[in-house]
Order: sequence, then structure tokens, then C-alpha cells
Amino acid sequence: MSDEAHIVKSYEEELQNLNDSLIKMGSLTESQLADSMEAIIKVDKESADKIIANDAKINELRAKIDNQIMTVLVKRAPMAIDLRITISTLKISHDLERIGDLAKSVAKKIKPLPHDLPKELIGSLRRLGDLVQKQLRNVLDAYLNKSKESAITIWKNDEQVDDLTNTAMNEVADFLGKSKKNLELATHLLFVTKNIERAGDHITNIAESLYYLIEGEYLEGARPKGKDIEKN
Amino acid sequence: MVMINNKVKIKTTNLNVYYGDKQALNDVNLEIHSKEVTALIGPSGCGKSTYIRCINRMNDVIDICRVTGSIEIDGNEINKKEIDVVSLREKIGMVFQKPNPFPKSIYDNVSYGPNIHGLAENKVKMDEIVETSLKKAALWNEVKDRLNEPGTSLSGGQQQRLCIARAISVNPEVILMDEPCSALDPIATAKIEELMDELKKSYTIVIVTHSMSQAVRVSQRTGFFHLGKLIEVDTTEKIFKNPNNKMTQDYITGRFG
Repeated sequence: MSDEAHIVKSYEEELQNLNDSLIKMGSLTESQLADSMEAIIKVDKESADKIIANDAKINELRAKIDNQIMTVLVKRAPMAIDLRITISTLKISHDLERIGDLAKSVAKKIKPLPHDLPKELIGSLRRLGDLVQKQLRNVLDAYLNKSKESAITIWKNDEQVDDLTNTAMNEVADFLGKSKKNLELATHLLFVTKNIERAGDHITNIAESLYYLIEGEYLEGARPKGKDIEKN
Repeated sequence: MVMINNKVKIKTTNLNVYYGDKQALNDVNLEIHSKEVTALIGPSGCGKSTYIRCINRMNDVIDICRVTGSIEIDGNEINKKEIDVVSLREKIGMVFQKPNPFPKSIYDNVSYGPNIHGLAENKVKMDEIVETSLKKAALWNEVKDRLNEPGTSLSGGQQQRLCIARAISVNPEVILMDEPCSALDPIATAKIEELMDELKKSYTIVIVTHSMSQAVRVSQRTGFFHLGKLIEVDTTEKIFKNPNNKMTQDYITGRFG
């Protein structure tokens, strides 16, 4: 990393604006994910509509970042740390957009839910949602502080996300096993659980991009995975 | 990945250059690899041009210049009095910032070197050398019908390629280029860069450039000079994606204070 400023002030501003856009996008995505988790647990159909509508704001920011990056590439031909900032920001913004899409998908599953969630399914789902939200918050903080150590911790923590996903899915399967009437709710919840787990995967992608931004090298080795989770 | 050649063509050890009291190069240790393009970058006055001028002993013409240390080409020391600089310069061609064709015809510009080095026994052989050199410099098609016109009648980009043809007419092993494109428009620059890609198959090329993107485009290795010192040398990919030295990074990203 460099603590010196560019000689050309407008270049400095362009990178600062890019950083600001990404932070704004991160904070919006964080709210959308939090709101979708709250709404699914409460089966809050009104909030679901808002979440679905709000996704457009994240997409707009991604388009704005794409444009800002194209401008930097064309005008500045960035090198070294600037090149890594530019490319990593592009990748991170696309992962944030996907997390936003997944939050929207969770919200979409709320409307057809036939009734409130049974108590026995709420615990694991909430724990999984809380963990993924914490991972997102931490990766955004790590981006702000350019913390390599946090990036590694977040990357490793995906194993816990996988384990909690596994537990939540097993509980839904048990619930389904109790009665055929549970089929509709269980199917929706399986999708929801999988979506949250995939949001976790995008967070680890962000941790990887952040590590590359800081170190100029890729995180070595395969990402740790929880037991019995089928990735797709 | 870029193909990296590991055979060292030019080995510089503890090279120091002084212009009178002023030290222009300070303990430079640098290996130039065979049949590759090595780019030398750094702010004005950092010593990069001084360095390449050591390779063909051009600094000899400056009275107050003193060079210490070792420069080996293929293992043979060239930084010693006994060396015949004329035959050294036959092996090491040079192209300068501003195209500088001789005030002679296109043909004579290219035949001049082979003539003084006695490389052609007759006119047929000389015609062949001129044609081959102009073809290698990607200029033949543009000048084959006007070989008797003055070299200075060509456009800037063509003149620079004529200078490259002149440099390669004596079968050199190394071509030194000191900002060869700084006076050229983007199209003429692209033609020289394309030519360098071709030439590096047969020659070892060292280019001094102020254009970072040119260094990225044409070279396989890059060295960064600052205040007469070689700060960092590595593969071009490494230097421009993730240099080891903060000073290198600050320079190539435009942060140099």
C-alpha cells in the first residue's frame, strides 16, 4: 500500500470516488441482507416488497462503479497498487451485487410462505443469518482498514457458515419428514437457506479480492469447507 | 505468462560512472538477458541513459567521464582499455530519441556500416544486406522504389525505422534504444513496438523509456533507476502489478514527490 498521494489530484479524486461508491454499495447491501433476514424470520411481507424494490439501488451503484472503473482504466492506465485497487473494486462490486440479488431472492420467498415459521426452525436460520451478516460487516470493515489478517479470518470462517447451513437444512428436512403438509414451507426454506449460504460464498470472494488488493498475491490453498455441503 | 529467457547476455557488476565530481551511476548490478527486451525506467537524470551508454562505450567520448566496475558481454569484459570500441559498436547498435539519419540516400544510410566494416565484397552482396536490413526494420515496402532519395525525406517514424535498419545492417547482437518513440506519433510508435517484438527473436534489446505503458507492452524485464542507483529489477509483470520496492511503486503510479 502507499501512503503518498498522486501528483495528479484528479486521479486521487477518481480513486477516492471509487472507494466511496464501493463503501456506499457495501452499506446498502448490508442493510438489504439484514432486512431480508429479519423479514424472513418474522414473515414480514410488507418489508419483503421494500427489499425487492431496493435492490435496484444496488444495481445502479454497480453500474456506476463499472463506469468509474472504465474511466480510470482509460484515463490513467493504472499500475501496481492502483491497478490492484481498480480490478479488486470491480470484482468486489460484482460480489456485492450478487449478495444483493440473494437478499432479494430471500425476500421473494417470504410472500408465498403459507404461515409463520415454526419455532424449531427459527434458531438455526437466525444463527446462520447473523453469522453471514457479521461476515459481511467484517469484510467491509477489513476493506476500509485494508486488513490482510481480517481478510484471512473471514475467508476461513466460511467453514462455520457451511456448518450452520448444514444444520439448518437438516432441521428443515426433519420438519418436512413430519408431515406432507409441510412440503411448501420446507421447500421455500431450503431455497432461503441455500441463498444465505451463497451470500457467504460471495463474502469469501470479497475477502480473496481484498487479500489480492493488499498483497498482490492470491490466497493460497483451497478454502476450508464444512462437512457434507454440496457447493454449486 | 511471458516467456522468460534465463541466458545472461550482459552482466554489469558494481558499475560506477562519474562525470567530473558528479556520480551518475552508483554500484549498479544488472543482468540483461539474451533475446529479450529489457526496459529501463526512472525519472530524468536517474542514470538510465548513462547506463546504456556504458554498454557500447559511448561515454568514452566524454572527456570528464570515468567508468569503474565491470560490464561483461557473453562473459567478456568490455570495460577495459584494450577493447576495440569500433568492433564493440559493430556488435552493439544504438537508436536514439530523435531519428538521426545521415544526410545521405536511404540506401547509403543502411550500407554505411557494412561498408566501413567491410561486410560486403561486392554490390550484389551490399544490395542484399540493404534489402534484408530494411525488411527486418519493416521499412522495405515503403522505400524500395525510392532508395536513392535522402533519408531525411522520410516521415519521422520511417526515419526511426531507417535508423533501426542502419543499426541492424552490421549484424549486431544487442540493440540499445534510448527513448526511440518519444518523437513519434501513436501509429509510428505502434510500428516500432511491433518491430521490437519481431527483433527480440534475433537480438537482445535494451530500451530506455519514459512511457510506463510502453515498458509494459514491449519488455519482459524492467529495471527502475533513481538517483544513479538501480532500485529494483524484475520481470515486467511483477514490476507493474506488484513491485517489491515502495519507491518503484510510487514512481510507476505517479506518486513520486
